[in-house]
Amino acid sequence: MMYEHFDNAVKGITEKLNQDPEGINARKKYALELSKLGKKLYSKDENIAWCGVTAPFDLLGSMGVTSCFVEFVGAILSSTQTAGLFLEEAEDSGFATDSCAYHRAVMGAVLKNAMPEPDFIIGTSSPCTAGLAIVENFANQYKKDFFILNVPQNYTKDAVKFLAAQIEEMTSFVSDHTKRPLSKEKLGIALDYFNRSSQLLKDIYDLAKTKPSPVDNKFLKDFGTVMALLMGTQQGVDICRAFKDELNHRIKTGRHHASKEKIRLMWIQNRIQYPFPINEMLDDLGARLVVDELNDVTWEPMDPDKPFESIAKRMISIPYSMDTSERIRHMQDLALAYRIDGAINPCHWGCRQGTGPRGLISKGLKDINVPVLNLEIDCVDSRNLAKGQIETRVEAFIEMLS
Amino acid sequence: MNKKIGFTCAYTPVPLIEAAGFSPFRIFPESKAPDQAGHLLHDNLCPHVKKVLNRALADDLPGLEGMVFINSCDSMRRLADAWHEARPDDRTILLDLPSGINNLSLDFLSKEYERLAKTLFKWNNESFSPEIIPEIKPEIELDKIKDKIATWNLLAASVKKIEEKMSLDYFPGIASALQQIINTAATDSTDKALAMAQKKIEPKEPAKAGKSPVFIFGNLLFDPKVYDLFEEWNVHVTASDFCTTSRFITPVDTRTDNNIFRSLADSYLKQTPCARTMDTAKPGSIAQRIVQRAKESNAKGVIGFILKFCDPYLARIPMIRQALQKESIPFIMLEGDCTMGSMGQQQTRIEAFTEMLGV
Repeated sequence: MMYEHFDNAVKGITEKLNQDPEGINARKKYALELSKLGKKLYSKDENIAWCGVTAPFDLLGSMGVTSCFVEFVGAILSSTQTAGLFLEEAEDSGFATDSCAYHRAVMGAVLKNAMPEPDFIIGTSSPCTAGLAIVENFANQYKKDFFILNVPQNYTKDAVKFLAAQIEEMTSFVSDHTKRPLSKEKLGIALDYFNRSSQLLKDIYDLAKTKPSPVDNKFLKDFGTVMALLMGTQQGVDICRAFKDELNHRIKTGRHHASKEKIRLMWIQNRIQYPFPINEMLDDLGARLVVDELNDVTWEPMDPDKPFESIAKRMISIPYSMDTSERIRHMQDLALAYRIDGAINPCHWGCRQGTGPRGLISKGLKDINVPVLNLEIDCVDSRNLAKGQIETRVEAFIEMLS
Repeated sequence: MNKKIGFTCAYTPVPLIEAAGFSPFRIFPESKAPDQAGHLLHDNLCPHVKKVLNRALADDLPGLEGMVFINSCDSMRRLADAWHEARPDDRTILLDLPSGINNLSLDFLSKEYERLAKTLFKWNNESFSPEIIPEIKPEIELDKIKDKIATWNLLAASVKKIEEKMSLDYFPGIASALQQIINTAATDSTDKALAMAQKKIEPKEPAKAGKSPVFIFGNLLFDPKVYDLFEEWNVHVTASDFCTTSRFITPVDTRTDNNIFRSLADSYLKQTPCARTMDTAKPGSIAQRIVQRAKESNAKGVIGFILKFCDPYLARIPMIRQALQKESIPFIMLEGDCTMGSMGQQQTRIEAFTEMLGV
């Protein structure tokens, strides 16, 4: 089922891109590469690793491993409105309805044999304990070897050294399974792509800061999190360049002025994955999501001479690896840089990591006069969606900001 | 009375707290403090963390010289975050705790425990620099730590003996008494707990028949009254696996390594881990461990008691259930919120379960 989905997506998007060969079409190019990745994951002739969100996908890619974080599949199932079936399967098997639906959906897919069997599994302790628990379930279910990258929360020399040593150990673990040693040359190339992508990402985010912003409410949806899967590749660089070109084009042509920007908003953590017209609704109200919390480059360029240390520093620097005071400081910086009027926190149900500090985040942003709308919503499981209530609260919030 | 150091997680080595001249004070989630935690943390966090935070917000705590937090799970991380807001003047330390068990993790954790020791001695205005200690003449602080570990190990041995008796026969009141001993070690002193334990090794009352032998496990079950209730409901607790029961009294094996912090790391990370800690060589080994503990303690059934919203345990329940089913060991899973009220609601289910098990 999933292979067909990705295969059809690849064919459909390719056809559309062929009809407009001169167009920039950044989102379509992005969707095409993600669909190609999905197809590879389900193609059965690749070395596959299911991973935690902060795994070093560039390094794994350089070792010939097709890898992906499991929450990506949860999001795809939700966006294609097929998550319900898998959520029920997981719940029937005893997975609590109070748990994160990204994880429940993907676990349901494992139980229904709708996931490709991995060669091995790489868990990461960041962002969340629940994610690590689910990949342990993967390892147990598939009887596959399991490696954990413990990402310390404290950014200290010892912490970086510890994580760097684990990353190096991980390369031996991977080599043992693929029978291919780490090639410094290939890793160097991947890190070069990663650095070029990172620079382009910085440019993209700088352009998004323009007032009025050239982004629309969907343009950079979950971009920072998902791009991590592609950044160590030429395709990643091409996509970033396409996004940058499209934003420049929008600024040049004034296309973004078409919908007047009255209110500038930040979206905290991940977006809602299933079809829910919040973006259109915000658009109608003159509100624009100019920044997502996780759309930022928080790391220094990768040093090919110290690859493991560089990757370790990068992993620890990601906002959801840090403690909440650091995360709030990061959000405050974004709020000021993007000159936002308010923020929306979806408070994804079941997420202790991101949603847990809800009150602390509200207070932290209030300290710099940025009001926060806390929604109570499950970003993956639409079965209990109180659509009317959410709409009323969003409308009231925008009215208040206006 | 000694100055107190607060802590919330069983991965906190009490001997280090005592060696630095403090009394341990594990903050249990028992409080009539009003529910205010929702102002800082989301309501979907585990009731353990929320109730501890309620205590902090309501100042329902004794005087504390500092707080030790462990980055053991998302909820504990969030508690450490919220503490700064609730009690900004408190001295705090957050230790990173690896999730997987291997040499790198153990080395790292030993450094974290060393950092804890240094911080605690500093908080008590005592210097501590084990890295410059000459091998021939160890500094007094290391001796203090070793002494406290020795007492702790005596307590662990006594607790083990009591548990061995519990697994063989039903002695009325012994489970509750054991919990009181463990709580004393957590909130007062190891010495006092040891004295209590040594008195309880030989039960005063003779063994009785007529209760169903059950192994209980989960995250947190600290109230001695709960064990009395279990007995009223026909349960003979043969053994338990909670971070507030014998799992908390982790014996520290100091024979294998000269570095005391490495010994602590080895012992705390490897022995009877919380669900959040994994043996990567045996994914899902928690399920086998529970089967084994149930069998070793001669239990006929297993009760899992899990706090709501506890991801590490809730995510492992399906594999635990499957492993128990495979061995034909009956199992029920109860969810609660740390209150006696929530336990009271389980009476009918527990009684039906023990009736089904028989004696």
